[in-house]
Parts: sequence; C-alpha cells; structure tokens
Amino acid sequence: MLVLVLGDLHIPHRCSTLPPKFKKLLVPGRIQHILCTGNLCTKESYDYLKTLASDVHVVRGDFEENANYPEQKVVTVGQFRIGLCHGHQVVPWGDPEALALVQRQLDVDILISGHTHKFEAYEHENKFYINPGSATGAYNPIDMEIIPSFVLMDIQSSTVVTYVYQLVADDVKVERIEYKKN
Amino acid sequence: MTAAQDKQEALLTQALAIVKDHAFEMKLHLDKGKLMDALKPASAMLVELRTSLLSPKSYYELYMAISDQLRHLELYLLDEFQKGRKVADLYEKVQYFGNIVPRLYLLITVGLIYMKTNPSLKQSLMKDLVEMCRGVQHPLRGLFLRNYLLQCVRNILPDTPEDVNGQGKVQDSIEFILMNFAEMNKLWVRMQHQGHSRERERREKEREELRLLVGTNLVRLSQLESITLDRYSKLVLPGILEQVVSCRDAIAQEYLMECIIQVFPDEFHLATLTPFLRSCAQLQVGVNVKNVVISLIDRLSTYSQSPDVTDPQAVSQLFDVFSNQVSNIIQTRVDMPTEDMIALQVALANLALKCYPDRVDYVDQVLQTTCENFERLNLTKVEYSSQVSRELMKLLAIPIGAYNNILTVLELKHFNPLLELLDTQGRKATGTSVIENCLTAGTYIGNEAQVSSILTMIAPLIYDQDEKDKVEMDAEDFAEEQGLLGRFVHHLKSDKEDEQYLILSEAKKHFIKGGDKRIKHSLPPLVFQAYQLAFRYYKIRDQDELWEKKCLKIFQYCHQTILDLVKADYPELSLRLFLQGTLAIGEIRFANYETIAYEFLSQAFTLYEDEVCDSKSQLGAITLLVGTFERLSCFSQENTEPVRTQCALAASKLLKKPDQCRAVCTSAHLFWSSKSAQGQELQDGKRVVDCLKKGVRIANQCMDLLVQTQLYVELFNHYVYFYEKGNEHVTIAMLNHLLGKIREELPNLDSNEETEQISKHLTNTLAHIRERMAAGGADYSGLSL
Repeated sequence: MLVLVLGDLHIPHRCSTLPPKFKKLLVPGRIQHILCTGNLCTKESYDYLKTLASDVHVVRGDFEENANYPEQKVVTVGQFRIGLCHGHQVVPWGDPEALALVQRQLDVDILISGHTHKFEAYEHENKFYINPGSATGAYNPIDMEIIPSFVLMDIQSSTVVTYVYQLVADDVKVERIEYKKN
Repeated sequence: MTAAQDKQEALLTQALAIVKDHAFEMKLHLDKGKLMDALKPASAMLVELRTSLLSPKSYYELYMAISDQLRHLELYLLDEFQKGRKVADLYEKVQYFGNIVPRLYLLITVGLIYMKTNPSLKQSLMKDLVEMCRGVQHPLRGLFLRNYLLQCVRNILPDTPEDVNGQGKVQDSIEFILMNFAEMNKLWVRMQHQGHSRERERREKEREELRLLVGTNLVRLSQLESITLDRYSKLVLPGILEQVVSCRDAIAQEYLMECIIQVFPDEFHLATLTPFLRSCAQLQVGVNVKNVVISLIDRLSTYSQSPDVTDPQAVSQLFDVFSNQVSNIIQTRVDMPTEDMIALQVALANLALKCYPDRVDYVDQVLQTTCENFERLNLTKVEYSSQVSRELMKLLAIPIGAYNNILTVLELKHFNPLLELLDTQGRKATGTSVIENCLTAGTYIGNEAQVSSILTMIAPLIYDQDEKDKVEMDAEDFAEEQGLLGRFVHHLKSDKEDEQYLILSEAKKHFIKGGDKRIKHSLPPLVFQAYQLAFRYYKIRDQDELWEKKCLKIFQYCHQTILDLVKADYPELSLRLFLQGTLAIGEIRFANYETIAYEFLSQAFTLYEDEVCDSKSQLGAITLLVGTFERLSCFSQENTEPVRTQCALAASKLLKKPDQCRAVCTSAHLFWSSKSAQGQELQDGKRVVDCLKKGVRIANQCMDLLVQTQLYVELFNHYVYFYEKGNEHVTIAMLNHLLGKIREELPNLDSNEETEQISKHLTNTLAHIRERMAAGGADYSGLSL
C-alpha cells in the first residue's frame, strides 16, 4: 500500500510549481492514499493531488484558501492509525515533545506534521513521526536552506517503509527508513 | 439504392453483355486469323462507348471492360507485325469506319502498333492522333478517348534530349502531352456549362470524379526523365500554367495547381516559385488560393531542411519570395476572406521558423505584414469567437510555442500591436498561453523593462481596462486565472538584487490596478518575493554596504503592499503576511530592525483585535500569533513584555470557554521557551503555571462535562510537558489534583466514542509517564498512577 505524504506547497504564494523532477515521479495510478499536511492554498493544487489518487486527506495549513479542511485528522491504513496535522498550531513549532501531546491525544501510531519545511522522520517513545517538508521547497523565514521534499510510505501489515525524496542540487535523492509497530 | 442507381446498373449490365458478345466474336475471328472480319465486331463493341446515358462511374467501368478487350486486338496485331506480316494500309483502312468514336479507338490501337514496330513514325503519328481526337467533343467520351490515347503511348513516349534515329525527342512528348492536357481540360471545364443549372451540384460531383483523367497528363509529364529544370521552367510549367489560368474555371484551377505541387519535384518548385505564385494571384474568384499556397509553403519548408537541396541560394531566398508573392496575392485577390489572409501569414511564419530559426526579424516581418493588412481593411477589433480571431491567435501562438522563450517574443515589435486587435477575451487567452509557456519552459523575466512589457502584454489578466469589454467569469475560473498570474510572479526574477527590487516595484504598479478581487491573488506572491529579496541582501551584506537601507526599503514596500490588502478587506491574509514579515525581520536584523518588526507585529495584533471576528478564525489567529511570537527573539525586554501579556490576555478573551482554555495553554509557552535577543530562554516558571492555572479555572467553568474532562486531560498533558522541561513551579500535587478531577469525571460520562477517546488520551499520557519513569528521565514519585 503506497501512501504519498506531502504538504506546504504554497502555490502560488511562495512558489510557481512543483519541481518538474518531482512531477515526473508522481504518476497517477501507483499511489493509494495521499496525506497532505496542508498549505495547498488553492483548489488547483488539491485538484492536482486528486489526479494522482482518489483518496486525498488534507488538514488546514496557516495559508489555506479553503477554510473547510479540518485542523487534525486520523486516517487508518492497514494496521496503522495515522494522525495528520499541519503543525502551526503546535507551539513551539516542530518541538518533538509538543508533537507528542498531539500524538497521545489522537492516539496514533504515526503522526505526520509539516509547517517547518524541513524533512524529518524519527521514532519517539515507540511512535513514528514524519514531517515531509515542503514539496515545492517553499520559502520559510525561519529556515533559509530549504530542500524540496516529500515522502512515500509503503505500508505492509505492521511495517512502514518510508522513502524520502529530496531535491538536492537538482538531483532527486532517496533515503529509506523503516518503522515497525510493536 | 435509388431508382436512378438501379437504372444505371441495368444500363451498364446491358452494355457489358453486348461488349462480351462482340468481344467473343472478335476473338473468334482473330483466332482464325481473319483480321478484317475481327475489326467489325471490335467496332460494334466500341459503339457502346457512344452512349450518353451512363454516369461517369458506369462509363468508366464500361471503358475498362472494352479497353481490356482491345488488348487482345493489340496483342494480335503486334504479333502479326513482328512476324513481318504487315497489313498494308491498315492505318488508312480503319479510318473508313463510319462512326467517329470506334474509328478513333481503332486508329489509336493501330497507330500504337505502327509506332511500336516503326519508331520513326512516332513523331508524325503522335501529332496526328492527338489532333484527330479533336473530332470527339462530347466531354465524357472525349475525356476517355484521350485517356486511352495517353494510356497507349505511355511506354513509347520519346524521352531523350535529342532526336535519336528519327524516333523523336522529349520535346515531342512534351508538346504531345501539353496538347492532350489542354484539350482534356477544355472538355472537363465544358462539363460545367452543360445541362440545367439546378443540376450544378451533381455536375460538380461528376467533375470531381473525372479530375484524375486530366491530372494523369501532369503525372506523365513528371515521369519524363529528360525534363530538366531548364525544360520545366521554359516549356512545361508555362504551358500548364497558361492553360490553367486561361480556362477560368475554379474547380480546374484549384485541382491542377494542387496537382502541379504534388507531381513535380520540390527542386523544380523552388526554382519556379515566382511564376507559380504569380499565376496563383490570377486565379478565379472562388479558388481557395490559400490552400494551394500553404501546401507549397509546407512542402518547400520541409524540402529546404532535407539533404537533397541542390540550390542553397534559392533556399536562402525562399522566405523573401514567398513573402513578396503572398503580399501580392493578398492585394490582388480582394475576395480573399480575412481569416485566409492570416492563415497565409501563419504558413509564412512557420516557414520562417523552420528554415531560418534565428531570423527573428522574419517572424516580425510576417507580423508586420499582418498588421498592415488589418490597417488596410480598417479592422481594429476582432471578436473572440470569430474565424479571424482564431487564425490571429494561431499566428500569435506560433512564436510563443516555437521560441519557447517569451524574452524572444518580446523582441517582436509587431506582436503587441497585433495582440491588441483581439478583444479582451482573446487577449486573455493569449496572455494565459504566454504565462503557461513561461512556467513550463522555466523562463525568468530578468529586468524591469521586460517585466513592464510582458505585464502590458498580459494586461487584461491583470486589470479591467474597459468596463464595457469586461468578461464575466465564475468564481472558480477567476481563481484559477488569477492563481496562474500569482504563480507567474515567481518568474519575474533577476539574479541581481537591485534589479529584483526594481522588478518588484514595477510589478506592483501593474498589479495594484487589478482591484480588490485580483490583488488577493497577485500581491501575496510579491510580498513573499520581497521577503526573499531581503534575505538575499542579508546574505551579501559583506559586499553591499547599503544592504540595511535596502532591506528597510523592502520592508516598507511589503508593509505598504500588505496595507493595500488590508484596505481590500483581507484581514486574515494580511495578518499572516505581517507575521511572516515579523519573522523575516527577526532573522535579518538590519539597523533599527526592532522598531520595524514591532510595527509589523502590532499591525498583526491590531488586525486580530479589530478585524478578525468569528470565533474559529480568532482561535486560529491567536494561536498563530503566539506561535510566531514564541519564535521571535528579536525584541528587547521592554517590547516583549507587553506583547506577551497582550497575547495571554487576548487568549483568555476568546468567546468560547474551550477555545479560551486551549489558547491560554498555548500562550504559556511564551513564558518558557521564548528567547531573548541574546538567545536565552525565558523560563519564567511562575508565569507558565499562572497560565496553566488560568486554563484550569476556565475548564472548571465549562458546562459540558465531556468537553470539560477532555480539557482536563489536555491541561494535564501541558502540566506534564512543563514538568518534564524542568519547570519547578509545576508540582506533583498539581498533577495529582488534575488527575483526581479526571478520574472523578470519567466514570460519569456516557459511554460513547468521544468518552472512549478521552480515556484513551489519558491512558496514552499515563503510559508516557511510566515510560519516562522507567527510562529515569523524570522524577514522578508521588504521582498517583
């Protein structure tokens, strides 16, 4: 089961488009679910995600045009409960302990958040945390060196294999991280 | 099947039966060697071709059946002649047959045998036969008779430059075919003028069916190998063109011009462009000259790129010749529709781009000519859905697509004047493709002047120029269109910082004209570009001693731009942009940055207080304010303190109790992890606990037990958070107190999904605490787990 995790596109506010090399990788028909950390900003970006997979979940970012996206969401994929939250509501931003509060409240195995535009994937007290970064590498005042990135999760029974795609100097680099549910 | 078709079928069957009978008899006589007896049934068979009742299609079938049978006669004769058994005067004898149609068919058959067995007769007999066929003036009969003639001689046409042993030379063949062609064409044209005028449509259809017979003459000419370029241009082409032009028949002219292009080699066309195109100008009204010229342009532009080109000089002049002649055609042919006129320019532009990709001036010349044509026609506005507009947009799309670089398109002086002929909708459509091209080709517009020209080019997307010409759009289309414009802003980019500033100022001048509905989409990208520019100056601060002044200017620009959005009534968007600005200023720290950052922050705060009304938005905004302020370390103590207190106060003033409680908890972080200008965390444990206590008090006031319990669990988590962070003001007693409340309430809640969630939340929290205890991370002794 392939799950695409991405967010903070900020089109058209901060970027004109997804990197073409990412667009080439994202082909319709391979991905079953999309989990988006928000800041799609426009309906057009949402429609684009819809072309990649029919099951698209979005939570609300701080620059959202669509006010109807929820602040948080829980999606179950296989044996995993996955929590989704943009992260600008979690103060201090990107703080693992603060995010753990959300994880406990949502009662999830994996918590996905964004906002920092910086890819992260780590285990914390047996739970798995993913920040897919910004798929467009959108500008963020709190971090000047932004690398465009997104994440693909391959979920097989109680194992998640996470592939992170990063655009470094116009080359796509892929890293693999495995997480097993206890 | 219609009655007419039935009748045709019957007539044909009948005729074919007669042909079969006579042919049988003819072959019987031939088998016995009685040639003269065989000629009679042969003639009788040929009499069937005198009919006027058959349609061209049926007549063709009959003709094919009979010419098959004539092959037997021809083979017999050839055999006899080769054996030396010449039948004296046969050529004269067949001329005594009474009927002209059978007589001429037989004469051609016999003549062929004479020419085959005695090649020196070719010259005179060919001339004789082609002249004698004039005897049949009925179009259908005449066309097929001459076709038979052409068919018969196809293998014996002299094809040598000079006469060899009196067998004739290629010039004889040319003269022969040209004459046959001229006569056939006349017959074909005459068909148009026979019969009743109401049957015109049917007649034209019949003519369509017969055109190949005429065209075969040109095919034969093209197959003569001794026709050199010289002969083609001096003899062949002038001969054909003279007939084509003088026949004054639109159907014939259109077909034959097309035919010339198709059958003769491109090399010849290249050398004879001018006479050919001049003739085009002289064709009848109603001839689709556009198609003829375009197919020639297309062929030659392909040819000019092939390795077979023998005359590079002619290729180099291709554009000029076409350009001149096309102008000539357009001026001569006053009947030509405007869209056809543009279609010709489209073909010319394609030619220019294919053959001379670096000659931008050629494309511009095409655009200029088009402009002039419009001026001549006094056309100043072209309506969107019209043919003319479609062609004009096609013309404008060519340089956009071909250069794949808008900067090159900007060099075309006549692009904009043409674009302005389109109405708003047309200009919008072209503007959209300009932007889309920039986005997909990755073109960046790198200086102020270019930015100004391109924004002028796409102006109808940016603002309403003419109230009358406004296009109504539904909200979604409008958002998509403006979103595209917003994306485009990121392509107005120079790698020189000072130039970038000019670009942003110039762009704003254009976008600000868009009105309230548009600036929501176009200004935020400008603001974000400006923030990024400030960071660029910060990066090169060692090389640019004025960087601080420039940063100040940039933030003034942003400030003003955001205020424009405030005026247009986008408080939430403006608030977020101000906060983004505050963060940027906090990172960059140019001279006097604190004042500017404070101004941005207070603007955000003012918007929060005055403009953000509904409770959901308020919670969102205050959370963002707190989150942003927590990140800021740029303020001095005297500035931070009031803001911090203000935040906490604002949080407690939210409408709904749960919102208040959560916001107050969030604002507790301001007193803990907020950093001073020197980078030290504040860690004011007491103030943190004050916030949390306030949170508990608010939760206590909550009427809904379920929500209250949920808030307690959340509060408990916040206490745990700060306890683990080492806040000594958080005590185990406080934790136990809260835990007690939760445990007291939980059993009283209705068992439903929400209650389940709350107890799960609690379980998870306690599991976390146990884990921390086990890991020795925190001292929780005394906690009543």
